[in-house]
Amino acid sequence: MSDDYLWDGAGRPDPEVAHLERVLFPLRSQRPAPDLPAAGRRPLGGRLAALAAAAAFLLAVSGLWLARVGPESSWEVTRLTSTPSGETVAGVERLRVGQWLETGRTSSARLAIGTIGQVEAGPDTRLRLVDAGAPSHRVALARGVLHARIWAPPGRFFVDTPSAVAVDLGCEYTLTVDETGAGLLRVSSGWVGLEHGGRESFVPRGAACASRPGHAPGTPYYEDAAAELKRALADVDFGPAVARPEAVRSALASARREDALSLWHLLTRLDGDERAAAYDRLAQLVAPPEGVTREGVLAGDRRMLDRWWEALGLGSAGWWRLWLTHLPPDAS
Amino acid sequence: MVPPAPEEATLARAAREGDRAAFGELYARYARMVHGILLARVPRSEVDDLVQDVFLLALRRLDGLRNPDAFGPWLAMITRHRAADHFRRGPRETSGLPEDLRGAPPTEGEAIAVLAAIRRLPEAYREPLILRLVEGMTGPEIAARTGLTPGSVRVNLHRGMQMLRAQLGREVAS
Repeated sequence: MSDDYLWDGAGRPDPEVAHLERVLFPLRSQRPAPDLPAAGRRPLGGRLAALAAAAAFLLAVSGLWLARVGPESSWEVTRLTSTPSGETVAGVERLRVGQWLETGRTSSARLAIGTIGQVEAGPDTRLRLVDAGAPSHRVALARGVLHARIWAPPGRFFVDTPSAVAVDLGCEYTLTVDETGAGLLRVSSGWVGLEHGGRESFVPRGAACASRPGHAPGTPYYEDAAAELKRALADVDFGPAVARPEAVRSALASARREDALSLWHLLTRLDGDERAAAYDRLAQLVAPPEGVTREGVLAGDRRMLDRWWEALGLGSAGWWRLWLTHLPPDAS
Repeated sequence: MVPPAPEEATLARAAREGDRAAFGELYARYARMVHGILLARVPRSEVDDLVQDVFLLALRRLDGLRNPDAFGPWLAMITRHRAADHFRRGPRETSGLPEDLRGAPPTEGEAIAVLAAIRRLPEAYREPLILRLVEGMTGPEIAARTGLTPGSVRVNLHRGMQMLRAQLGREVAS
């Protein structure tokens, strides 16, 4: 038999090749294209049809009125209710910009973020959709647990919390906000940026970062770091000033090579002798690359800090700064 | 080599200049290629995350792309290197089969078994077969995207398919 079908799909299908195509189809890349304004690839017809169906369903099950809205101004929400035999779908609706979503003690919700990802809101979660569509999606998490999985390029999905803004850098993460507004970000894939008041934290896979209202985002740390380091960082970031010197000493002493991530962030947050001590400890763990001097780092030279970051083996400093260009002026 | 569509070189230039929408369009066009190249090399459960890693890596290395006409081959090379790095970073199970089969629904069982058979083929055949049979790319498309010559893609598809038929035949017989 000719291999034309194997080559370009032309001619009479080779039964075995066609069978293998059908069998292997479930393994195909299923992630949709990123939802970017110039792409022009959104299947509007199908989405509008789904929207109409969802709106009709909502009218039937909840009695709520929903205006006909475009896919750019709402997310599809699947409410899930936990039962002894497992979770069940309780309803499908749409969450429009400006609306709040609340889950109960035994319920959760799955939200489709356009075509760029998916969010799961855990029990006892309250969130509001702030923006949906080009150029970005944005949600405000007032309390509860949000698990996000994003497959778009960086800077397309933002979560406002009472204490910081989380910016997706191509990743999967869980963000928890308690009743006081304190947050905890845990990253399971990729990177997330956390920003407030002009201070930024970059949190890679396997790391976490705390935030508190009225404070800048905490220092990120790897989850397998020593408990002593985690306690010390919490004191440095959010503790009373009187406890800070001892906390800095403890953090530096308990850091491993892997904790260079934390020490690099500390360099930008400490002053005077404490910054010098952080420099010396980080230099013990990861030698500063050529051109990076103690004087320059202590003076806050951004280029030197970036070069040292590159030497940590965590990724280039160039791309993770890109997200800042996507922050709207009022982000902090 | 079949040259890439001129507009892709334009997209690559625009992406290099910081146009994120252009990069998003390149993502849409090349995600299958990246996914397929990774699927030929790393456990299936890790492919999706690595696809993201590859595009993030490409995004930050775009400044180093000297010839935007060669975006596809450049991205394919990054993907292959990323797959190799994945294994260098720690001992991992190479075929991905036992991990992938655990807990797989019955409908996916055959797919994963066929994938494992493809992964046992010589390296030169794995990638084109997965791009053709899993990702649904045509031979000319594989050549244009990856920068391989149409002739070598055609030969590797043909020979790889022959070996795959023989291997699957042996498995059925045994």
